[in-house]
Amino acid sequence: MTTPPHSLQTISLRKEYPGTVALNDVSVTFSGGKIHALIGKNGAGKSTLVKIIAVATRPTSGTLLIDGNPVALRSPHDALQRGIIAVHQELSLVPELTVAENILLGRLPEKRLFGQSVIDWNAVFTRADEILQSLDVHIDVHAPAGTLGVAQQQSVEIAKAMSYNPSILILDEPTSALAQHETERLFSLLKTLSARGVVLLYITHRLQELKEIADTVTALRNGLLVGTIDITEATPSAIVQMMFGETIQRSRPLDLAAPIEPFLEVRSFSRKGLFHDVNFQLKKGEILGIAGLLGSGRTELLRALFGADPADSGEIIMEGRHIRPEHPQQMRDLGVAFTPENRKDQGLVQLLSTRVNLCLASLQRIATHGFLTADREHQIVQNNVRDLDITVADTDAPVTYLSGGNQQKVVVGKWLNTNPRLVLLDEPTRGIDVQAKQQMFQIIWDMSRRGISCIVVSSELEELLDICHRILIMRQGRIVDDVRPGEISLEHLFAACMKEDA
Amino acid sequence: MKTDDRFRRLFRHGILEVILVVLCIVLAFTASGFLTPDNLLNVLRNVSMQGVIAFGMTMVIIAGEIDLSVGSAVAFAGCLTAFLTQKLSGEWIALPLPLAIAVSIIITLAVGYTIGLFTGLMRTRYQVPSFITTLALMTGLSGAAELITNGFPLTPFPGWYNYIGGGYLVGIPFPALIFLLTFGLLQVLMNYTSFGRSVYAVGGNAEAARLSGINVPRVKSRVLGITALLAALSGVMVSSEIMSGTPTTAKGWELDVIAAVIIGGTSLMGGVGRIWGTMIGVIFLGVIMNGMTLLNVSEYWQHVVRGAIILVAVLLNLLQKENRTT
Repeated sequence: MTTPPHSLQTISLRKEYPGTVALNDVSVTFSGGKIHALIGKNGAGKSTLVKIIAVATRPTSGTLLIDGNPVALRSPHDALQRGIIAVHQELSLVPELTVAENILLGRLPEKRLFGQSVIDWNAVFTRADEILQSLDVHIDVHAPAGTLGVAQQQSVEIAKAMSYNPSILILDEPTSALAQHETERLFSLLKTLSARGVVLLYITHRLQELKEIADTVTALRNGLLVGTIDITEATPSAIVQMMFGETIQRSRPLDLAAPIEPFLEVRSFSRKGLFHDVNFQLKKGEILGIAGLLGSGRTELLRALFGADPADSGEIIMEGRHIRPEHPQQMRDLGVAFTPENRKDQGLVQLLSTRVNLCLASLQRIATHGFLTADREHQIVQNNVRDLDITVADTDAPVTYLSGGNQQKVVVGKWLNTNPRLVLLDEPTRGIDVQAKQQMFQIIWDMSRRGISCIVVSSELEELLDICHRILIMRQGRIVDDVRPGEISLEHLFAACMKEDA
Repeated sequence: MKTDDRFRRLFRHGILEVILVVLCIVLAFTASGFLTPDNLLNVLRNVSMQGVIAFGMTMVIIAGEIDLSVGSAVAFAGCLTAFLTQKLSGEWIALPLPLAIAVSIIITLAVGYTIGLFTGLMRTRYQVPSFITTLALMTGLSGAAELITNGFPLTPFPGWYNYIGGGYLVGIPFPALIFLLTFGLLQVLMNYTSFGRSVYAVGGNAEAARLSGINVPRVKSRVLGITALLAALSGVMVSSEIMSGTPTTAKGWELDVIAAVIIGGTSLMGGVGRIWGTMIGVIFLGVIMNGMTLLNVSEYWQHVVRGAIILVAVLLNLLQKENRTT
């Protein structure tokens, strides 16, 4: 196939959300026949850019040019028609339907039968098979999509995208769930597509992949375009520099002395397929970071420590007591707190008020003989609002109206009210603004000063360097290293998380 | 402007109360005999048997569950009380009649609570939706009522037994007092205790509740247990009113009860609802039925109107919510 290469250009794209600018004056050109890697931290604006290109959201201002012409696309459907396809990290196949139906979903070929249009099943399977063949992918088109492995599902997802005859294909972290050889297959598939003149945008966190797949590397940071470099110039330090900018450890307080009093020990903690033989110790008041990629088992480890999910083996020894975490109630009563990664769905009951959410984990403490008194609740809530600086107009209004940062403070407040001795924080700064982040840091440091130990999981490595006394590096379910922020650079920490076990 | 604001707030938060008052005023003028103490007490008496269950059902729905078996549970409980009274006052052992009745009622209530716990166990241990378990119980309990009575009303009760369902205390119907007492207890339970708070949390987001250290299975089981207990209590009241254990009573009550709860603003999605709202919903339906009867509206029309009310009430609730979020 020899179509002229397509191109995609943005001019001064800007996207504002209430209280924040997600994308600021981004002008960038992606030409066809090349694979363009798009990198940046969480919240850098990558997904906003993708959403705008796929018309899942509209920019506040700015223009989109396809093949040199400005286009006014109004809906995701328009974008599909125009050949703009985004394949997201979460696969969107219908597991019960066959591979062929999934590929041609919504556009199943029809034929006339007794004057009625009915689905032409022969054509469905033949066409789907043709598309897969053209990608050199061998999957049974009659198999239900749910029976396929993740890599094969990914291929079906791409075949589905191909059936739209795309001019622009966006892949959002397609390899995060793939094994090494599967990744190689995907890459050869992408190179085939690229050779046909398709504009390929490739979002990834796995920087070691860049050399293999990308032709150019474009970085976003805080909604701004940092720049585009050729892959030949993309050394690891250049990439880290583009992603993180000049990092300075700006806010770390001086009185954050390394604690010495032992508090807790985790012994050979394992859960099949997720984390293996995890051992570490924690001091009283220590802030321990866990650094690792998505899928390294860090979140699963934290959840198992809280009893939210079961561990297969291992135990926790807390001040001499041997504990097997079984359920959250047990761990809470032992003085353990947990702020989940997904605060919206797991940390808070969105329908209920800020007041109710703040009191939710400590009802037994707040109530006398099971009865709640408005005065006592009010006092606790006022203390939380003051101590954590929660911006809330009406504590009796549903918590869902609060901003991300304030919701996160409510989650933390909820747990502080239980008077915890160990707080497990999963991505405490995800999706919250810079000021709220600083406040989160202060809160964590304050907890440390009061002798509360913290374990912090975060993808924001520079934040871990800022917050923690010590950082464990987790890779493929194992703790592989134990470092101190003063002794390791961001670049090295990043490399340590990335390293693939050969 | 200020009165306008106040009116708007009233409209937003208490529209059902406003409509109920307007309805009563209209009926006071149009239906002769509506606005008399006797008639109003009669309304209260008529709604009390279903109303008692409605408060429990409110908790169940707030907790994100449903109980379709309450109608059959009423019939079964009435029959069980009659059956046990018969057995305990002669056939098995010869207890004095008052004692036999007291023991029978206590056993019936305990059996009711256990049935609710069973639904909860199926829900929390085996992930059987409460819709399914209680649908099965709806048929099963109805059959069980037929079994223990052989399909005919059992009439072992002495005359004074009628007091529970038909008597008066200081001029107020006794069942209405039970109704008001149940309201008071559940109002306190849901609004002023940590248990009530847990019910809202469990229904609003079970996972967030679990991760906050709330024992979700226990909360769900207790709520289902309390509601089945209240259905059993209602069954005792009904058996007293009709002076027999009759397996065919209370057919279709589950829908009337759920209707009252929904009219009162409780969301079937869980997490949202008020005992007070259900009080209004119950009275609202009672007043409408009473008014239509006084106005000689045919029973067929009464059903149609009731259906329309359910739909309109839910629509109003949704519109209110939309208003509040914008």
